[in-house]
Amino acid sequence: MTIIKVENLNKTFKVKQKEKGLKGSIKSIIKPKLNEIKAVKDINFSVDEGEMIAFIGPNGAGKSTTIKMLTGILYPDSGSIEVLGINPTKQRKKLSYEIGTVFGQKEQLWMHLTVYDNLKFFGAIYDISERETEERIKELSKLFDLQEFINTPVRNLSLGQRIRCEIVAALIHRPKVLFLDEPTIGLDPVVKENIRKLIKRMNNEYHTTVFLTSHDVSDIEKLCKRVIIINNGQIVLDDSMTNLKYHYLDKKVIEVKLKKKVDFNSVDGIKVLKSKENNLKIEIDTKKTDLTTVLRLIDPENIIDINISNTPLEEIISQIYRKE
Amino acid sequence: MLTVVKDIKNQLKVTCISIKYALMREMINKASFLMNIIFMILNNSCFIIQWIVIYSLKSEIGGYSFKQILLLWGISASTYGFAHFFFKKSFSLSDTITNGKLDSFLVQPKNVLISAITSEVEVSAIGDMIYGYILLFLSDINIFKFVLFTLFTICGGIVITDFAVIFASLSFWIGKSDTVADTANDLITNFSTYPDGIFKGLSKILLYTIIPVGITTYIPVKMLTEFKISLTAIVIVMSIILTLLTFGIFYKGLKKYSSSNLMISKI
Repeated sequence: MTIIKVENLNKTFKVKQKEKGLKGSIKSIIKPKLNEIKAVKDINFSVDEGEMIAFIGPNGAGKSTTIKMLTGILYPDSGSIEVLGINPTKQRKKLSYEIGTVFGQKEQLWMHLTVYDNLKFFGAIYDISERETEERIKELSKLFDLQEFINTPVRNLSLGQRIRCEIVAALIHRPKVLFLDEPTIGLDPVVKENIRKLIKRMNNEYHTTVFLTSHDVSDIEKLCKRVIIINNGQIVLDDSMTNLKYHYLDKKVIEVKLKKKVDFNSVDGIKVLKSKENNLKIEIDTKKTDLTTVLRLIDPENIIDINISNTPLEEIISQIYRKE
Repeated sequence: MLTVVKDIKNQLKVTCISIKYALMREMINKASFLMNIIFMILNNSCFIIQWIVIYSLKSEIGGYSFKQILLLWGISASTYGFAHFFFKKSFSLSDTITNGKLDSFLVQPKNVLISAITSEVEVSAIGDMIYGYILLFLSDINIFKFVLFTLFTICGGIVITDFAVIFASLSFWIGKSDTVADTANDLITNFSTYPDGIFKGLSKILLYTIIPVGITTYIPVKMLTEFKISLTAIVIVMSIILTLLTFGIFYKGLKKYSSSNLMISKI
């Protein structure tokens, strides 16, 4: 069942342009110059129920603008959006009962209140009865391990604990779709991993559809089965994570420790990334040369140690961003 | 109909909790909380001393006796206090709009404007409200006047808030409008502390229309001295009309809201 349906969506922002210095400021008062920036250009996609989708792109690509239009924060210029059959522009309130949002860069919790009081407040916002709120707090604090600090004011929590609470606050009304905008920003690797596990567990337990934006490739790789890449306001890729890896896997990286040095500089399809004494790191373009040829060139007798790996996903995504 | 009543009830409940939580935040520091209130009362008292001196020289100014001046200052202080205590954020709404701080209210199933302006309280405004009631007691008090004074405090406070929100909403169209909004808010505050008899012609018309000091202060003072039901009705009806207009303007502007990517925390 389709949960999110976006058709021919467009959004343009008018940004004031100013020449440098005081002269520029005076000029911009007399004759302001506005530049139209097309943040989102005619995008189309759909998301099914229970899917965990990564919506990624470089800074300024149009990710946040899209997510804000999907949640009813921004009005689109043209095109149509349906989230759970609801138009966010016309029925913002109705939609907000059905969705949860976590913006990693914007706190929604009251800092001076305890986690428990905050969750009670969110229960009231979504018109949930006190008894029902109590039950949900109990259930979610168990699932997200909040028991230890549920009575601590939010300002005294670590960033990781705070993000966990933000996610729980967004789940108190049992939303069908959860929008996560960079939820792991600024967190250390251990906490990041913890948050990912919790998101996965939540997806399994409640079958919540997750719409995730993140710059952290591990978030995407570990959580999502499908990825949509947006760049300059346009969708440049909408595919499964498996396809993304295999379609773009025409490069291999070989790290090898040799008995005798071998010169690869003149071989077509091989790029030397690092060379230090008898240690080599090379990148093979498998469209130009195959691995067997490379291994033959190295000579198996000459190898002390070898490691062959795929190009990291981060590199693949960067290539797509750069349109390579 | 039942859904509308339920919606209003739920909105009121959330608004009350929000104000309660905002007040709890201010009460964390007990000393500063109490000092803010006390010093505001003392600060306001300085102004009335000036009027005591003036009235020792003259028995009437602009058609107002000293007791009416007490009522004028009382109602000005209490309306100002009511608006700044309950709706503090309406006086910095321009900043909220231009810096994209409405996002968290937009994803909640409650009224965006009410949620945004009730998310903070101004502690010193409690001092203004207390001061307003002290002056009412000093002028001439009875139960009827007390009820009427409270009604005008609420209506006037709402009108002041409406006025602030309308000017702040200009930010949706023209970008930063905080200076315009601040000037407009100062106009109301300043004019509401002088008897309207000293204003003539165009300025008087302005004070009963564009700058609604007539609604917030002058008519209430008249009402508290010579009761006329029609005048009370005017104040109530005008408050409702202005409030509806305010919501209309804010929601029209909201379609132009452009958010932002600033790192923001709710403190």
